[in-house]
Amino acid sequence: MHNLSTKKVFALFVIFGWILLIVADRVDELRVYQGATIAITTLAIASIIILTGYSGQVSLGHGAFLAIGAYAAALSQTYWQSPFWFTLLMSVIVTSLIGFVLGFAAGRLSGPYLAGTTLALAVGLPTLANQFTFLGGETGLVYDAGNPPARFGEDFTLYKWFFWISAFVVLIAMFLIRNLLHSRYGRTWKALRANPTAAQLCGINVAQSKILAFTISAGAAGLSGALLGMISIVAPSAFPLSLSFTLITGAVLAGVTSLAGSMLGAVILVVIPEIAEVISTSLGESEKVISNLPGFIVSVLLILTVLFSPNGPAESIRKRREHHQKAKH
Amino acid sequence: MISLRRNKKSVLFASVVTSVALAASVVPANAETGVSSSEIKLGITVPMTGIAAPGYNKVAPAMKAYFEYLNANGGIYGRKVNLIIKDDRYIPQEAINKTNELILKDKVFALVGQLGTANNLAIASKVRLGSRKIPSIGVLTGFSGFADKKKYPTTFMSFPSYAAEGRIIGTYINENLASKTVCLVSQNDDFGTDAAKGFTAAGVKFAEHVKYVSGTQSSATAQVWIGKLVAAKCEVVVLMTVSSATAPVLAVANAAGYKPQWILGSVGSDTTTLKLSLAPAGIPAAQAAALFNGAIGLSFAPDPSDTTDEYVKLFREVNTNYNKGVEFDNNVAVGMNYALVVAQALRAAGTSPTRAKLVKAMESKGSTFASIGYSPMGWTATSHAGHSAFWFGKFNLAGELKPLDAARTLYTTDNNATQPVTKTTAKRAALPAKGIPTNS
Repeated sequence: MHNLSTKKVFALFVIFGWILLIVADRVDELRVYQGATIAITTLAIASIIILTGYSGQVSLGHGAFLAIGAYAAALSQTYWQSPFWFTLLMSVIVTSLIGFVLGFAAGRLSGPYLAGTTLALAVGLPTLANQFTFLGGETGLVYDAGNPPARFGEDFTLYKWFFWISAFVVLIAMFLIRNLLHSRYGRTWKALRANPTAAQLCGINVAQSKILAFTISAGAAGLSGALLGMISIVAPSAFPLSLSFTLITGAVLAGVTSLAGSMLGAVILVVIPEIAEVISTSLGESEKVISNLPGFIVSVLLILTVLFSPNGPAESIRKRREHHQKAKH
Repeated sequence: MISLRRNKKSVLFASVVTSVALAASVVPANAETGVSSSEIKLGITVPMTGIAAPGYNKVAPAMKAYFEYLNANGGIYGRKVNLIIKDDRYIPQEAINKTNELILKDKVFALVGQLGTANNLAIASKVRLGSRKIPSIGVLTGFSGFADKKKYPTTFMSFPSYAAEGRIIGTYINENLASKTVCLVSQNDDFGTDAAKGFTAAGVKFAEHVKYVSGTQSSATAQVWIGKLVAAKCEVVVLMTVSSATAPVLAVANAAGYKPQWILGSVGSDTTTLKLSLAPAGIPAAQAAALFNGAIGLSFAPDPSDTTDEYVKLFREVNTNYNKGVEFDNNVAVGMNYALVVAQALRAAGTSPTRAKLVKAMESKGSTFASIGYSPMGWTATSHAGHSAFWFGKFNLAGELKPLDAARTLYTTDNNATQPVTKTTAKRAALPAKGIPTNS
């Protein structure tokens, strides 16, 4: 969508939103629930794409930002009785602020050191919930989007309501992120990722750019965390370390530099457990197989992607097409 | 232009991907979800793998075994009961995901025997069983809150509440061990909090209260807990823990030569689970069972070794024939018992069962259902409490719980532990012939 005007892109997002709503009205509850999960995961992966794909910083603990966003939203609802839209805003503000602070560390760290720091955050953060009673311990906090409005009728299910909220919020967020990545900032981050020294020589403030990328990425992750808390729970078990790895996997599968691919990554992550279940059922329903197969499939896909399509299938297809078109001319 | 076309295509591609992901599958119109002319579909989530799996992973297969026995004897008005088991690894988030699968994908009629306090709370809050009118029969947790019909209109408890258990143990301590230094180890969630409510009501003060986070129990963490208990000079230690936490505590204490008077809560005092939990550490089964020796325990049901009990006798037979190769223990007995209770509930819902009819039947007839607990269940139109009475015993070298008094005195209080503990002569319903319900 590089050459499309913002108005045209906005129109495409609106059309896509309508398609989603129409589809959601014609599928059963399970698919609607999965649709909400795909929407939320798309935004979470997009937050990694901003950070890693554009600014070149690696975070192994992005699940921690999702947790912070979810807890910020839940706390503002529990203790301030804030309206739902405000809780989402709080999730963005709080995680952006924490991302901003961490951004300073990120400005001084790079490569494995930054990855290690973020990893430590993801490992340590969930245990905090068990240290402070106001965070609700292992059971967590109640965070609720409320029931669907009565005017939608009795057939309008809870999960359709979750899907509507998730799809609406994520479409807006993705539109904003898309515009940001196509702005001066996006180009700056790309330059930074390609060669920090060259970028600095061109007058780019490297530290400032890194902090900004960290802040925005954290804000997006926080928002997706709040939405995740809405459809699941706000408790340590909802934000395990594996969540961070899953999101990175989704980003790599999608193509870590491709914002449009984030949806593909999310779909793959949601579909894999279904495929795993079909396979494990045919293998005889061993519990160990059922529990471990999704992880195994994801790992295999990850290895294959890194070997054969390191920038993701979407990027490979684009490059191949460009190559063909050049050859034609 | 090329770029424009390419981008339109990519948006179209994205739309198609999502549309495929949300592949249309319209729900066929049924009289009631999960009920056909030949089958009633039920679902359960339990830890089949993970840290809490030893022992708890026997509950659902035991339920399934009883249902197979029931199906071989006519099922429910000719319909076979099909139990779908999902592994939640004792993680609340997983319990939500798996319960959603059971409801949305497998389209079960009702949930049965959902295990764990935190898991059931997570399910209640996010899957919203109440507002969706999906029954959850016999949740395997003693969290007293689930008796609240207004808050959880379709959830029915099975065990006596942890609050009641706490108050009954507290009263026992006051009457028999008042001069000792008493300490508590409990799970840092609503399981532990609920029990603490009962101890507070009984007026027990603990010299040390060790709280652990579910999932962190291990020999290493148990070393730290024992260190605290020794430092506080605890002479009596109450364990309101799951079996996978009880096991390392007893093993580490034994190895350290620390021998207080243990009082084991009913949740974490299953001998075979203890054996299974300690086997990886190289502790032989007999030695593991002996760790219980001399500990005081309490139970709402007979000990699984009590073959004179008609329920235990029947469940052992079913276990031998339909659950081959599985050692009979509390987990198996509990699984089979609540399958028996579910069978009675399904029969009481009539020949054309609906979820609403099932809930109504449990509220109106649930307290008369045959169940292994020595006191009837408290299912009424105003409360969904489970069993309500405990008896005290002492574990022997083989890990069997033997009554402290020959009469096996039952002690009770209300579900929320607001009333003083009293003795009760409550009687349970007799086991239906061959364990096959014929109620209506």
